[in-house]
Amino acid sequence: MLLKIAKISLLIALGTVASNAADFNAQAEKDRKALVGYMEAKFVDADKNRASYFPYSTDDELKNNFPKKIKHETFALGSYAYNSRGKSQYDDIKEMPPYEDAIDEGEELYGKKFANGKSFKECFPKTDIAGDYPMFDDKSNKVVTLTAAINDCLVANGEKKWKEKKGKMPKLQAYFSNISKEAGKKVDIKISSKAAAAAYEHGKKEYYAQRGYLKLSCATCHVQGAGQRVRAEYMSPLLGQTTHFPVFRLKWNSLGTLERRMAGCNKDQGENPHKTNSVWMKDLLYFMAYMSNGMALDGPDIRK
Amino acid sequence: MKQLQKILLTVGFGIFSVSSLQADMVSEAAALDVAKVCDVKANGLDAVLATAAKYNAEAKKLGVEFKRLGVTNSNYIKGTTEAAKAKQKDVVLKYKKKGKEKSLKLSTDYAAWRACSFAIRALQQKSEAESTWRLAIPGDGFKY
Repeated sequence: MLLKIAKISLLIALGTVASNAADFNAQAEKDRKALVGYMEAKFVDADKNRASYFPYSTDDELKNNFPKKIKHETFALGSYAYNSRGKSQYDDIKEMPPYEDAIDEGEELYGKKFANGKSFKECFPKTDIAGDYPMFDDKSNKVVTLTAAINDCLVANGEKKWKEKKGKMPKLQAYFSNISKEAGKKVDIKISSKAAAAAYEHGKKEYYAQRGYLKLSCATCHVQGAGQRVRAEYMSPLLGQTTHFPVFRLKWNSLGTLERRMAGCNKDQGENPHKTNSVWMKDLLYFMAYMSNGMALDGPDIRK
Repeated sequence: MKQLQKILLTVGFGIFSVSSLQADMVSEAAALDVAKVCDVKANGLDAVLATAAKYNAEAKKLGVEFKRLGVTNSNYIKGTTEAAKAKQKDVVLKYKKKGKEKSLKLSTDYAAWRACSFAIRALQQKSEAESTWRLAIPGDGFKY
């Protein structure tokens, strides 16, 4: 009898733990689905939605440039999802992508021995990992980005940290991203603890809070402003924003990490940019990546 | 054991004090009228710069310091304070853009006004964001 009671209690306890674990991402899932719904509704027919979403767009772009019925997966293309003319230029550049050498250099960096005889292979035995980052580390209670994980590996092996925006860092990431893309991997961000949910909420708040002397939130441009034009460029959507990094930007004429792009965006808002390894940046990227959960990885990529 | 309790209480009180001070400074800034407080003619250059320094230190701590065209508000305050001490009519602010040295020339009074308004507005925005950030979230406060 006692044994029966103990078994039932154990099952109830396990059930409670399991249901709580599933609940940690409940709000994030709600947010993600609502974002997908919003983007699909906004871009179902830009011309018909002019009054609600595109008051400043021209007749020509609404009728001839915006495709109709854009679906969730297509937003991984960023602004090229709804800029047909820009997409054809993008496709031309993709025929001879300027980041191919970087992938090869990344592969070399992956296999190159550290001074202690070890290499990145010990830290990252699997290479199709681009969609798993940023991840929440329950031991240190903080978000770990791929950039931070690479630098942690270097430090653990007695090597110097790499720069977080450009140089070797995006090259190794390009190698991981390319393998992940070829393996058909998708963004797979997990929120499996109370602390992880808190980091997600912090990132979400920072994404939607107005900041800088221009009083812009990230959402001003990439949620409500997605599809609006700033001079000749269309602003990209939050949905799919992290799927294609690192990117070769024509403006940079080099490959850069997601942190590099974010620092630029933060500066454009009129704020002294947060450090690339700050909690602010990591939590923000955690939120952004969760919004792209389930979308195919397609990095490295090119952007203007 | 008692000593441990004392340490824990002191640390706890310290953390509580720092966070209450930060909240106090934000709500204090939120109640200010920027046009009045940062008016150089009415308050004098030194007072406006002191106000800028006071609130910008808090904005920096909270990670909301403003930066305009490569110049952080800390640089505005530093450059303008030096110009005020030297009784210069203009301030030349130096900054780096894409690795190149650049400079920006402004009248000292105007630079002080900007430094002061940037410092206070950064905190006011921080305060406003507490009630506005959810209004932009699809599926939450943002209706379409």
